[in-house]
Amino acid sequence: MLANKEITPSELTEESISLAKRYASLNCFNVINEEAAIAQSRNLSFDSNNLLSCIPIAHKDLFCIKDLETTCSSKILEGYKPPYTATVVKNLENAGCITIAKTNMDEFAMGSSNETSYFGNVHNPWLKNHVPGGSSGGAAASVASGIVPLATGTDTGGSIRQPAALCNLTGLKPTYGRISRWGMIAFASSLDQAGPIAHTAKDCAIALDAMTGHDSKDSTSLHLGKTTTLETLEKHTSLTLGIVKEFNGQLSAEMELAFQKSIMTYQSLGYKIKEITLPNIKYSVPTYYVIAPAECSSNLSRFDGVRFGFRSKNIQNLEDLYVKSRSEGFGNEVKRRILIGTYVLSAGYYDAYYKKAQQVRRLIAEDFNSAFKECDLILTPTSPGTTFAFDSKGSKDPTELYLEDLFTIAANLAGIPAISVPQAFVNNLPSGHQLIGPHLSESAILQTAHHFQLNSDWHLKSPSMESFL
Amino acid sequence: MTWEAVIGLEAHVQLSTKTKLFSRASTSFGADPNTNVNLVDCGLPGVLPTVNREAFYKAIRFGLAIDATINQTSHFDRKNYFYPDLPKGYQITQMERPIVLGGFVEINVDGIKKIINITRAHLEEDAGKSIHDADPNNSLIDLNRAGTPLLEIVSEPEISSAKEAVAYMKALHQLITFLDVSDGNMSQGSMRCDANVSIRKAGSQELGTRTEIKNINSFRFIEKAINFEIKRQIRVLESGDKIIQETRLYDSVKDETRPMRTKEFANDYRYFPEPDLLPIVISNEEIEEIKNNFPELPKHKKIRYLNDLQLSENDAEILSSTKSLSVIFEELLNTGNNAVLAARWLVGDVSALLNKDQIEIEESKLDAKLISELLKNIENNTISGKIAKEVLEECYQTGASPNSVIESKGLKQITNTNELQSILQDIVNANPEQVNQFKSGKDKLFGYFVGQAMKATQGKGNPELINKILRELLAK
Amino acid sequence: MDKQTVRTICYLSRLSLDQNSAQKIESDLDVILSMIDELQEVDTSKIEPMFSPIEQTAIVYDDVISSDNLKEDFLTQAPNSDNNFFKVPKVVE
Repeated sequence: MLANKEITPSELTEESISLAKRYASLNCFNVINEEAAIAQSRNLSFDSNNLLSCIPIAHKDLFCIKDLETTCSSKILEGYKPPYTATVVKNLENAGCITIAKTNMDEFAMGSSNETSYFGNVHNPWLKNHVPGGSSGGAAASVASGIVPLATGTDTGGSIRQPAALCNLTGLKPTYGRISRWGMIAFASSLDQAGPIAHTAKDCAIALDAMTGHDSKDSTSLHLGKTTTLETLEKHTSLTLGIVKEFNGQLSAEMELAFQKSIMTYQSLGYKIKEITLPNIKYSVPTYYVIAPAECSSNLSRFDGVRFGFRSKNIQNLEDLYVKSRSEGFGNEVKRRILIGTYVLSAGYYDAYYKKAQQVRRLIAEDFNSAFKECDLILTPTSPGTTFAFDSKGSKDPTELYLEDLFTIAANLAGIPAISVPQAFVNNLPSGHQLIGPHLSESAILQTAHHFQLNSDWHLKSPSMESFL
Repeated sequence: MTWEAVIGLEAHVQLSTKTKLFSRASTSFGADPNTNVNLVDCGLPGVLPTVNREAFYKAIRFGLAIDATINQTSHFDRKNYFYPDLPKGYQITQMERPIVLGGFVEINVDGIKKIINITRAHLEEDAGKSIHDADPNNSLIDLNRAGTPLLEIVSEPEISSAKEAVAYMKALHQLITFLDVSDGNMSQGSMRCDANVSIRKAGSQELGTRTEIKNINSFRFIEKAINFEIKRQIRVLESGDKIIQETRLYDSVKDETRPMRTKEFANDYRYFPEPDLLPIVISNEEIEEIKNNFPELPKHKKIRYLNDLQLSENDAEILSSTKSLSVIFEELLNTGNNAVLAARWLVGDVSALLNKDQIEIEESKLDAKLISELLKNIENNTISGKIAKEVLEECYQTGASPNSVIESKGLKQITNTNELQSILQDIVNANPEQVNQFKSGKDKLFGYFVGQAMKATQGKGNPELINKILRELLAK
Repeated sequence: MDKQTVRTICYLSRLSLDQNSAQKIESDLDVILSMIDELQEVDTSKIEPMFSPIEQTAIVYDDVISSDNLKEDFLTQAPNSDNNFFKVPKVVE
């Protein structure tokens, strides 16, 4: 539409912002960048050679943007305005994107339902009072609702892929190190990876190519240039897809049916299906719930009320400053994870838990290496179910919610890329399947997802939004 | 009963890099508060560390100098604890795989040599500074120092007295300054140490309970703090009590150590590998490169000074062991000065002036250029040694160049034979009695005439010429 | 996890649990711990831990200053500060 001059950049930005306001009840944004976005859109001229030129985008509220409130949906950062901008945001702005808002999320990205946000739940655009998934729940809701065509997310154990699946979107977690973590507020440093959430694999490819590239500010950034996945998107070959033996029987009958339909679609396109085994995959959830809390317990120590963010009003001494600021500033899920992380790192438990988990992590990674000798990509469901009602999971047993990430966590542990692709609806609600590939196989993953989308129309469906007006 | 002390030292040495260990902010000393702080040093959300190569090279240089093993693959760990001047709530340090392992340092106490083995030396970041006494209600936090690279050098518990501890710290100080690893400026906190002290019955193999004295920042205080602590522990044990394992602070005003406030819970630093940094690998080529550019160590310097430059034992020892003098001496050699003369002046008059004010040469107004100018004037007979002392003192006080002092005060030596001849003739004429006595064999009176001559020339007469002419005149 | 352990890790984390949430969080911790205890059944005796998914080595950087003075930005964001310093309640050592 921009190319045909049916709409100007500033009209597109204004339209996006007015939609954001219209659907305010979704609660998918923490802050709308109205003035700056409109000013930026007036200054930008449309570049027809550049697919992201003048495209409105929403960033998960853990990417620092200079002078724009960045909170991680936590009280402890309420009102905090960073003095610098994350590399991912800069890369996307350099590619032409206009930042229109920061999206709601689970507090510090800890959650799978967006219910831990200090700023309240985000609704699933497909069904009110149901979760959009998490932790990038606001990002998924903002794209699914049609407010923006593209949003950034981060994925530590499934936080891009699971909300994408629950909101009928395509979401990619790239290889660890593909995208700079500079300016992305850390949850678990060795697992966190940014990625795009959009409607299609093609849009994800366009965004990924802009987001990637080595960044000297991030020592864990791979020494590689930008990806060129868009160029090779159409070059799909019929690969061998591995089906994980250990995941058999983990799904309800309806979910299983939707997944089987996806398998059949791939088969009809010439893909070979082969059962593979990941013998240690069942340990991925416990492994994750040692490593992620351990890293987060340390990463979140800087939120101490000294240099930025929230400081309790009611303090007498230094201990008060720490304990009260942190206890009042963090929500319960964050506290739980900090406490678990502190425990598994403490004297006497380090070997039994932390080191042990890192050893099991290697076994899981090696399982993938072996599997990729048998197949090109691995095909799994993205999550065990579809969206669920607010407060329906995890309130009694927190590990119930942790199992939402059963299929997604292992890719983070191994640092390998994975995508969630919309598939057949289950009881009129979106569901997704996941393609996991070896290190640096983003091109193959996107080609395959794109191929699927050329031959299916699930990703084209959009929610009515009536209930949010 | 006799007791013996068992002491291990942890020296913290600030490396003289331009930038911090994990950020490229300046490490300059004395900047306005919180101005040498960038996003990383402030520990803002979302920032990441990047490693300074030079810090590694300096650590390796130290390791090579003490014959240690260099861990060519090393990594960083996080040490977790809360303190207001520790911005991230953890310190990035090396726990599991330090860059330097083993090695030794030789000390010399009262003529007896002893080897002190080094356990390890690792890189870590310094914390910021908390100022507790400037504001009645608050502690003030300055993060300028946060992230400055430190090399923590841990000795084996092989030190047996406060004197040995000081000798060990001085040996380390000499090494790190000669290696250009650190400026070694103790008053600016570039070198400080923690001392682990315990005592046991003489001859016993068992170790006693130790205490740790934190953050001692001068050689004098190291000696005093350890001596106090040894005496205290003897007193405690001899009165039948037990030593409590604790951290103590040395109070230099009261000259005593006292326990730091104890907390309800013991600290547990929860070390784990820093996930924001990958392992650092130093190649063989890099190690070779460092070896090829190795600064000359004091022991090698001394041999060269003795053998090649023919310096006296004393001059060679002093010039090879004091970094600041050694630097000036080398510069003087490079600008073509006579080695023996330069050594004599540096060790003699220059050091005397510095010692009087207890300062290092770089803190004074003297530098190599100035001293070279002075020495040239001595060598070409423009001034005598005696006058040179006067000139040096003037230069030391004012920073003026020797040439300008000589010029403005008219101190140039009289080397004109005719001029001296007439002055000396006058002296001979005015002292007929002494002349006769001299001629009758009272040789000692020659000194009298020289004295008269110096007086008449205000010390500017060239002594050799005066001798020569006087002998001629008196022989007539 | 016994009460004393909970107290210790709360201290180390500088967190306090209010009366209402304490019991819930403590029982949650037990549930989570029993889940992660499943790891004990894996034989990892000869396995190197995998601390990072990128098994590369770090790039090191030249010792060249490149940094802005952000003092004002930092101090204006701080909950308590003056023109020069961050402020915290007086620390007694």
